[in-house]
Amino acid sequence: MGDESVLQGFLKVTRRKPALTGLVVVLLVFAILYAWDARQLAPMFSNVGTGALMAAIALGVVLTYRGSGVVNFANGVVTIFVAYWYYGLRMEGKFYVPPLPNPLVLIEIPVNWFRDDGNKLDLINWPTVIDLPGDRLTTASALIVSLLLAVLLGLALHFLIFRPLRNAPVLAKVVTSVGLFVVLQEFLRLRFGELARTGVQFPLPKGKVSLPGELGAIPNNQLFLVAVVVAIAIALWALFRFTRFGLATRAAAENEKGAMLLGFSPDFLAGANWVLSTVIAGLVGILASPITNLDTITLPLLIVPALGAALLASFSSFGVTVAAGIGIAMLQGWVQYQGAQTWFPRGVLPTAGLTQALPFFVIVIAMFARGKALPVRGAVSSGKLPSATAPKHVWPLTSLAIVGTLVMLFGFSYDWRQSTINTLVGVVVALSLVVLTGFVGQISLAQMALAGTAGFFMSKYFADLPFPLAPLIGSVVAALFGAAISIPALRLRGVNLAVITLAAAVAIEQLVFKNKTFAGELGALRVDPPMIGGKDFGPNNTALRVLGLKGRDDVPPNVWFGVICLIFVVVLCLMVVNVRRSATGRQFLAVRSNERAAAASGIDVARTKILAFGLAAFIAGMGGALSGYRFGSVTPAYFGAFASLTFLAFAYLGGIASVSGAVLAGIVVPNGLNFNFLENILHIDQGYATLIGGIGLIITAVRNPEGLAGAPRLLAEQRALRRARKAALSKEKQDEEARTMGVGQ
Amino acid sequence: MNALLEIENLNTGYNGVSVVRGLNLSVNPGEVVALLGPNGAGKTTTLLTASGLVPIISGDVKVFGKSVQGRRPHMIAREGLAHVPEGRALFYQLTVAENLRLGAAKGASDVKKALGYFPALEPIMDRRAGLLSGGEQQMLAMARALTVSPKLLMVDEMSLGLAPIIVERLLPILRQIADETGAGVLLVEQHVHMALQVADRAYVLSHGELAMQGDAATLRSDRSLIEASYLGK
Repeated sequence: MGDESVLQGFLKVTRRKPALTGLVVVLLVFAILYAWDARQLAPMFSNVGTGALMAAIALGVVLTYRGSGVVNFANGVVTIFVAYWYYGLRMEGKFYVPPLPNPLVLIEIPVNWFRDDGNKLDLINWPTVIDLPGDRLTTASALIVSLLLAVLLGLALHFLIFRPLRNAPVLAKVVTSVGLFVVLQEFLRLRFGELARTGVQFPLPKGKVSLPGELGAIPNNQLFLVAVVVAIAIALWALFRFTRFGLATRAAAENEKGAMLLGFSPDFLAGANWVLSTVIAGLVGILASPITNLDTITLPLLIVPALGAALLASFSSFGVTVAAGIGIAMLQGWVQYQGAQTWFPRGVLPTAGLTQALPFFVIVIAMFARGKALPVRGAVSSGKLPSATAPKHVWPLTSLAIVGTLVMLFGFSYDWRQSTINTLVGVVVALSLVVLTGFVGQISLAQMALAGTAGFFMSKYFADLPFPLAPLIGSVVAALFGAAISIPALRLRGVNLAVITLAAAVAIEQLVFKNKTFAGELGALRVDPPMIGGKDFGPNNTALRVLGLKGRDDVPPNVWFGVICLIFVVVLCLMVVNVRRSATGRQFLAVRSNERAAAASGIDVARTKILAFGLAAFIAGMGGALSGYRFGSVTPAYFGAFASLTFLAFAYLGGIASVSGAVLAGIVVPNGLNFNFLENILHIDQGYATLIGGIGLIITAVRNPEGLAGAPRLLAEQRALRRARKAALSKEKQDEEARTMGVGQ
Repeated sequence: MNALLEIENLNTGYNGVSVVRGLNLSVNPGEVVALLGPNGAGKTTTLLTASGLVPIISGDVKVFGKSVQGRRPHMIAREGLAHVPEGRALFYQLTVAENLRLGAAKGASDVKKALGYFPALEPIMDRRAGLLSGGEQQMLAMARALTVSPKLLMVDEMSLGLAPIIVERLLPILRQIADETGAGVLLVEQHVHMALQVADRAYVLSHGELAMQGDAATLRSDRSLIEASYLGK
């Protein structure tokens, strides 16, 4: 009895003061570890510099969320971009021009169309680099110029992308911000290459501070960085607490209409917060670059732990954000140290992977401990969700798609055959997002990871099973993983779910796919071709050989493999069509539009979500299995977190809420039909293809939230609206005339 | 006399379909005007159009002598138009004091003046707006509108969700504001009788068109007129 009341009292305190409780728990654990063996804690303090950078990125994320309701997945890339600008100005005396669209491309492409290889027309491009007159800039001027560029970048992001989206639903904002991440990441890669930049100069304090006991020391430059980030957090806290600007931002975040009626421009507030966020991220990026060095691959991914920190702070508290950011980094340092010890089961848990996967576990534990709903923004209009209309003309469309695919497979050269097969695989993964995100409104950034789960499990454990059984069972495993991921989804929605699924994608990639014990020393697992009736139906066989014939020009990929993929696609598409039409489909849509209303009308929301996650993961798993057959192997890179992000972008581009949208998404995915068209017909470099997809996505999200599949419907609606408006106006004119004539008489 | 709000032959609505047709209406300084009518008559749409939140289809709305067309809502608000919208648009996450501070450009003196009309808010200044009762929320919404020292105050369905006894207490305050500050008040109300007691003039909208207008005293004495216009004659 007495114990129970103590426990209840404790729980009450944890619910009321989650941040304080978290701090106490962390300090307690720290004290226990210190008493156990102080030396093991030393590595924690050598990693605080990275933590400060993570915290600054997270601060930017929180700031833009509070100012405009957008969770900026690209904030990590923005940070690194500004730091690269500084590097160019300070170390090389060069200004790296931001990538601009070149209108001359419109001339180049059609001309190259008629030219053979080797002699392409190449007109003037924008300069990529401008050599500055004189020598390298001084630290101060390089810093000022880079920060001015950060201001411009913030303004551009606000005015070109997120301002038009201010009334869009969460999904459109998340997808656009993912698209922005993809685009800026490609820009970064194309501009600065994959070579790391070291030796960035910035006058940071030297030396180190020794810590008491055996805790080691903190380098002064890292300590300085931490101090800067903490100072920024305090300044932001004061800004939001005490100034009218901050108060108005908080107010507009909650009720834009109310803020407008009091004379505040939500637009101005959002823009100002965007600029503030890019400048803070850029500044700390520059200060951190001498410590962390610059590269275009690992640093932008700091966004994952940064998002974790922002999520722990409910996207609102600056203090918790910084504490969580630095805390996660310290924990990573500690895990790294433990991973190097002899007792650590390195075989089962790869150390590097564990540190990367850490944010996921931290978020999950914190979410369960807190168990409270997160705040959701309320705006003037919550925006229209992409319409998930019941499929019409199913049989004609299906027959058309089948005939079209067969023509592509049998009638065209090998490169078209190849890209058709890639498209078919893409359709399957996009279909899984249609079920989960389109129908149920759950944003998942882990679908490729789930696809990979099926592929890896199939290859590892079910390779001996006969053909259709192996991918099926692999997909069932993926469905189980999907259902497991859905458990946090029962407590999280919208953008918070997107963050945790991204962290989950990273965790699966790092702990499963890159696990040498599981996936072998080579980092890839072999997938044997599907055998039917003792014949090799894999892509590397050829069409005639399967039939036991011989002939010239008989080259891989195997047409019959394409046919197998087509059968999978048709069956899965029809399955999703039927789900949409069934009672389950209606339950999915009900949960998407309003969970409370759905629950009130007797729908088990939890069950519906788990079902949707499981079903979507099963479909994604099929895609993973097919791509495994397609490449003859499964690799971590193909199923990595970045791939999941890209895939959501392309699925949205195609149309997230309909089966036809999934088919269109398959056509535009990397290496699909559209890519083959761009590369071999329009002669556009493959490297730019992802970029084009990302830009297409941003334009689609801003202009047309329904995606490509919704374009005809949207146009029809707009026509109808214009007609109605015209009719109303002309009727008024007639009335007017009638009135004046009446007066005249 | 220069009218604060002049609505001339206004057609307004959503997606090109008029909800309000051919409306003429004016509000003068120091005057309380009631806008009456059954549900769906277009009262709220009229107020939203005056604030610039709903675009005009044809005709014009002039606030302080200038057309609202092409002007952003927050710019109109800054010139002294206070609008307490349907649903009150309070910031639930902020405290009462913070809600009031947002409007008050001049700071504490504005807040003090607003609290003069709603002294019941003073003991709950540190409470979050989301935790207030319906009557307190309505008082806060009106007090917040007063902190901007409005020249024109528009109040939409103040009585929504409130007990009649509270409405009886709040409505006379609007009269007091108009008399003391010289502001014009445009008030949308379902409680016809109570509204006519504080108003100088009234307009009755029915199905988007002006059904009748006149002195509050006249309308008060002949209730059958209003009933007829409500029922659509």
